[in-house]
Amino acid sequence: MVQFGRIRGNLRGERQADGTSMKAPAVDYVRARSLAEAVDLLAEHRGEARVIAGGQSLVAMMNLRVASPGLLIDISRLPELSSASDDGDAVTVGACVTHAAIEDGRGADPSRGLMARVAATLAYRAIRTRGTIGGSLALSDPAAEWPAVMTALDAEVMVCGPGGRRSIRCSELTTGIFETKLAADEIIESVHIPKLSADARWGYLKLCRKSGEFANALAVAVVDPTRGHSRVVLGAANGAPLVLDNTSRLVSEGGRGDISGAVAIDLDRAANRHFDEFQRNLHAVATTRAVRQVLQ
Amino acid sequence: MPDDRYGVGASLLRREDDRHLHGRGQFVADVKLPGTMDIAFVRSPHAHARIRSITVPPEARGRVFTAADLPRVKPIRVVSHSTGAKSPPWPPLATDKVRYVGEAIAACIAPSRGEAEDLANAVSVDFEILDAVIDAPRDMRGSRHPMHEHWGDNLYIEHMLQGGDIDAAARAADVVVTREFRMQRQSGAPLECRGVLAYRDYRLDEVVVFASTQTPHTVRVALAEILDIEERCIRVVAPDVGGGFGPKARLYPEEIILAALALELDHPVRWIEDRSEHLLTTAHTRDHHYKVTAYADRQGLILGVDAEIVVDAGAYGLWPQGPYHEAGMVARALPGPYTIPHYRAKHSTVATNKTPLGPYRGVGRPGACFVIERLIDEIARAIGHEPNEVRLLNLVRPEQMPFTTIGGMRLDSGDYAQSVRLCAELLDMPAIRARQQRSEPDSRLIGIGFATFAEQTAHGAAEFAARGASIIPGFESCTARILTDGSVVLMVGIQSHGQGLETALSQVAAEELGIDPARISVRHGDTESTAFGFGTFASRSMVMSGGAVARASRMLRDKLCRIGAHLLQCDVAEVRCVDGLVSGPQGSVTIAEIAKVAHLRMDGLPQGVDPLLDATATYEPAISTGVYSYATHGAVVAVDPETGFVELLDYAVAEDCGTMVNPMLVEGQIRGGVVQGIGTALFEEIPYDEAGQPLAGTLADYLMPGAAEMPAIKIGHLHTPTPHTEYGMKGMGEGGAVAPPAAIANAVRDALSSIGAEVNETPITPRRVLTAIKKARGPKA
Amino acid sequence: MSAIRLQINGAAVTDDVPPRLSLADFLRERRNLTGTHLGCEHGVCGACTVLVDGEPARSCLMLAVACDEREVTTIEGFAGDPAIEALRRNFHRHHALQCGFCTPAMLITARDLILRQRAGSEREIRDALAGNICRCTGYTNIVTAIAETAKEIGKEAPNA
Repeated sequence: MVQFGRIRGNLRGERQADGTSMKAPAVDYVRARSLAEAVDLLAEHRGEARVIAGGQSLVAMMNLRVASPGLLIDISRLPELSSASDDGDAVTVGACVTHAAIEDGRGADPSRGLMARVAATLAYRAIRTRGTIGGSLALSDPAAEWPAVMTALDAEVMVCGPGGRRSIRCSELTTGIFETKLAADEIIESVHIPKLSADARWGYLKLCRKSGEFANALAVAVVDPTRGHSRVVLGAANGAPLVLDNTSRLVSEGGRGDISGAVAIDLDRAANRHFDEFQRNLHAVATTRAVRQVLQ
Repeated sequence: MPDDRYGVGASLLRREDDRHLHGRGQFVADVKLPGTMDIAFVRSPHAHARIRSITVPPEARGRVFTAADLPRVKPIRVVSHSTGAKSPPWPPLATDKVRYVGEAIAACIAPSRGEAEDLANAVSVDFEILDAVIDAPRDMRGSRHPMHEHWGDNLYIEHMLQGGDIDAAARAADVVVTREFRMQRQSGAPLECRGVLAYRDYRLDEVVVFASTQTPHTVRVALAEILDIEERCIRVVAPDVGGGFGPKARLYPEEIILAALALELDHPVRWIEDRSEHLLTTAHTRDHHYKVTAYADRQGLILGVDAEIVVDAGAYGLWPQGPYHEAGMVARALPGPYTIPHYRAKHSTVATNKTPLGPYRGVGRPGACFVIERLIDEIARAIGHEPNEVRLLNLVRPEQMPFTTIGGMRLDSGDYAQSVRLCAELLDMPAIRARQQRSEPDSRLIGIGFATFAEQTAHGAAEFAARGASIIPGFESCTARILTDGSVVLMVGIQSHGQGLETALSQVAAEELGIDPARISVRHGDTESTAFGFGTFASRSMVMSGGAVARASRMLRDKLCRIGAHLLQCDVAEVRCVDGLVSGPQGSVTIAEIAKVAHLRMDGLPQGVDPLLDATATYEPAISTGVYSYATHGAVVAVDPETGFVELLDYAVAEDCGTMVNPMLVEGQIRGGVVQGIGTALFEEIPYDEAGQPLAGTLADYLMPGAAEMPAIKIGHLHTPTPHTEYGMKGMGEGGAVAPPAAIANAVRDALSSIGAEVNETPITPRRVLTAIKKARGPKA
Repeated sequence: MSAIRLQINGAAVTDDVPPRLSLADFLRERRNLTGTHLGCEHGVCGACTVLVDGEPARSCLMLAVACDEREVTTIEGFAGDPAIEALRRNFHRHHALQCGFCTPAMLITARDLILRQRAGSEREIRDALAGNICRCTGYTNIVTAIAETAKEIGKEAPNA
């Protein structure tokens, strides 16, 4: 499992450094000429290497010296990772498609506007022009947007490793804070997103005090009656995106009933996330409001 | 809108803009010298510890400097003449003990900053960790491991300010309001962090120190003393400085270390602070605790205020003024511009294992304003009146001026009540009250709040002496010089770091000399090419430096007239100096022609007139207790009672700073100050944990106000020129930051009035709002 | 050390750089282009914003090596650019800068915003400036200057 350590702990709130680190440590760099080459290099360097796409998280971590890879393998310019294709009932978005490309609606959109809306709230434009959806999923910052949204859309990632390709459901990809099911020598190649039907509805709410900062609370609700898919997901949830089963069921049944009650049951079941009272309340409010957007 | 005129009162566009719009500004980090080596510091990771040993790897010998390697460097020592003041020595590089996380221990030198950081990481320090003193109210009388040995307690200073008879006020009161208030610690956080570049100039026999500082001349004074070299052998240059706001108006260890290293080594040395370092080591600010009681009668007339003020001042005193002024300033400003007759304020300034505290826009005034303005709102609620009615009842009236408040502020002029009315008008208060009668579609609660304050500006000898200062920034100076082509150079001791003083001061000279500001250069920031001065802080520069420019310009004008009259062969009483000419009844002569005579053709000078057109003047206002700007601020907020989020819907300032030299610049200062105040009110905080670790290390934690969260800020002006300064101007640079915490806290209080929740702490975060709501609602049924 | 070849402000540049070197430091220290400023080095303040392949990017979060074969434009590289020249005029007219430290990046961000036709309303402009901190001006005049420029060069949002 790839783990970048308690970067959030080091970037936000619990920084215990002596505060003198703002320049990256020494590192080697290679630009991969193909995805296969990138995979080989990762395997060869056995945990000392990291792929770099947009670098918006990785370089920040290196500047703060909370990450010191020995080798950076640049995959940002591999054309096979930067395109999006319409596959009929799904869209495959290359791992290196940027948040800005999604924001601008370049390429096919499987999400009836949800992804563009989400992308527009992600950090700042200058970050979005370089940061990638694959990078976001691979890092799985607990407060990031894409892991929660891709879980809500029931997407899956196509992953390339020395043993070949495999797919991982996004709802299972993230296993903890900065922890995923990716092996150290695996690279996300693309995200395969089922298209929402014409009668699908979505709700999205990101709560934060300052535009562009990491979410204090993040809720995504998707209901697609034609496909029988309904999912309400909480991000910024101290770990992997939290699927709220009870609330999802209520929404799929048309939302008649006590939404706050359903949310409360789901949050009670998430006691291992250790939300304090304020956080729990915020998650409850975000979820309720996202659900209301869907039910309007 | 820009004006065609260019003297005092014109909204002249800035000459500073051109270089910055083209990326041709020159900040410290932009200065390039061949052979420069970069420095990174080994800094303490502990809040309080004894240093047992420092181990430098052998390959790093000669590239790592500890205190022992720089014996010429003496400790920084603030001198205060206040009774009972205790002043700890502060070695620029730690010797036996470290007292805050971030304290510098060793300087590491390498060809690049990254390599210097590598070196710093290779140095190991063995510590004996001590208990951290982090709770100022709790630990001020002592702690298991005291801050500074031989003190007996952890107090820098403690005083009482009182006037009238507070016990009588307590007995006579119908309304008693008691509250605790808290302003959390924060950073001034200019966008450009600090930086120092130092090198030997062998031709001039000087060590040259470029520093991102607001006070180059006094930095030179300090360096000379601490390094034991003559001032004539030190040059300090503040080039372009990317914001200062107070934290850069103090001497820092890095300036001393870099200068010392430049004297030791034969190449330039450079240290550019990074943001994490900045949040750790540049002066922290605010960090006040208050317990205050206000006594009033049933009309809302305030009879007295009784206050306990604790300032958490961190581990050491920042030279020159140390931490000795802040609490006293709060105490003096706390009664506000009100005619309160009885007062008592006990104020304590505590040493703690945190970053040293320094001045930041408003200094003690935002805290004082926060307290009194919140109390006014609570008094109003207690008697069922509008808060502004209570304000108007208690504000000093114009006919009472000059009025010395019970806190000791001598208010010189102004119509404070009118600022309250104007502010309410700018926000359309009746419309807000009407809106509050309806419910919002998103269920948020609307509130409006106000705060009025007086801002002491351009204060000088009397004020600083009363504070026990050993350095009295009671004047400014200007050398004005007309060159042979008639162009002008003004050399001033202040330092413009965004305020537009290069433009505004040229307007003053233009006003006096009749020369287009486009032909006037302003030199500031460099001890080599400017007259001695104290720098830019305390809302003093326009008044003090502008006054000096006016006086020096008049001296030149008089000389131009004397020479011009001589050249025109008429009486000096018959000539005027206007529009670049000296004109008499029979013709005129250009200033350039006069200048040529004064320099190149001195045989043409009248009897008794010496060559050159060079004048040096100093200036202080007619009174040194300060001239007082004032304003009322108002905020309209929407509070989400479910999440605690607060949104600013509208903000207005009704202010009076007397005569405005450049109204456009004044409004820029107001808006900039207001947004900083909003940062204090809603966003900015550096919390510390039990071990003394600061918890906001990057801008991901330390939230700074951005455009998306700010309203457009409305401004209305009143004009009461003060009789005590040139042109009647008053300082105003800090005022914008003084009232927002109070106005916003009052607006939140108003929004939550149906719930009865109050937040008396800054920043007003969603957590604090929800906690207040929960407390007000009481235990659930 | 890695060899890189890139365009900076329209000119071809070759150099040998350590991979750890950020684009910002490469521009400032090796190319003497000091108009790009460093305010945080972790991507929040925006003072380091330049154009990479025509789009705004944080030069503090890009490695110089990763800019091989790319086109970089800094504040020094906009001579004759009508949007930047209009923005300069309006920033000057409306007093949209004080200390100047955020200004180059603010101009680059504003230009991008206007050219993408996202500068139609005050709300839109303010949201788009979230990634550029200014500590001095309070933003009011910056927003005015950008709005005026957008009107002037006819690039407001289609439904503004």
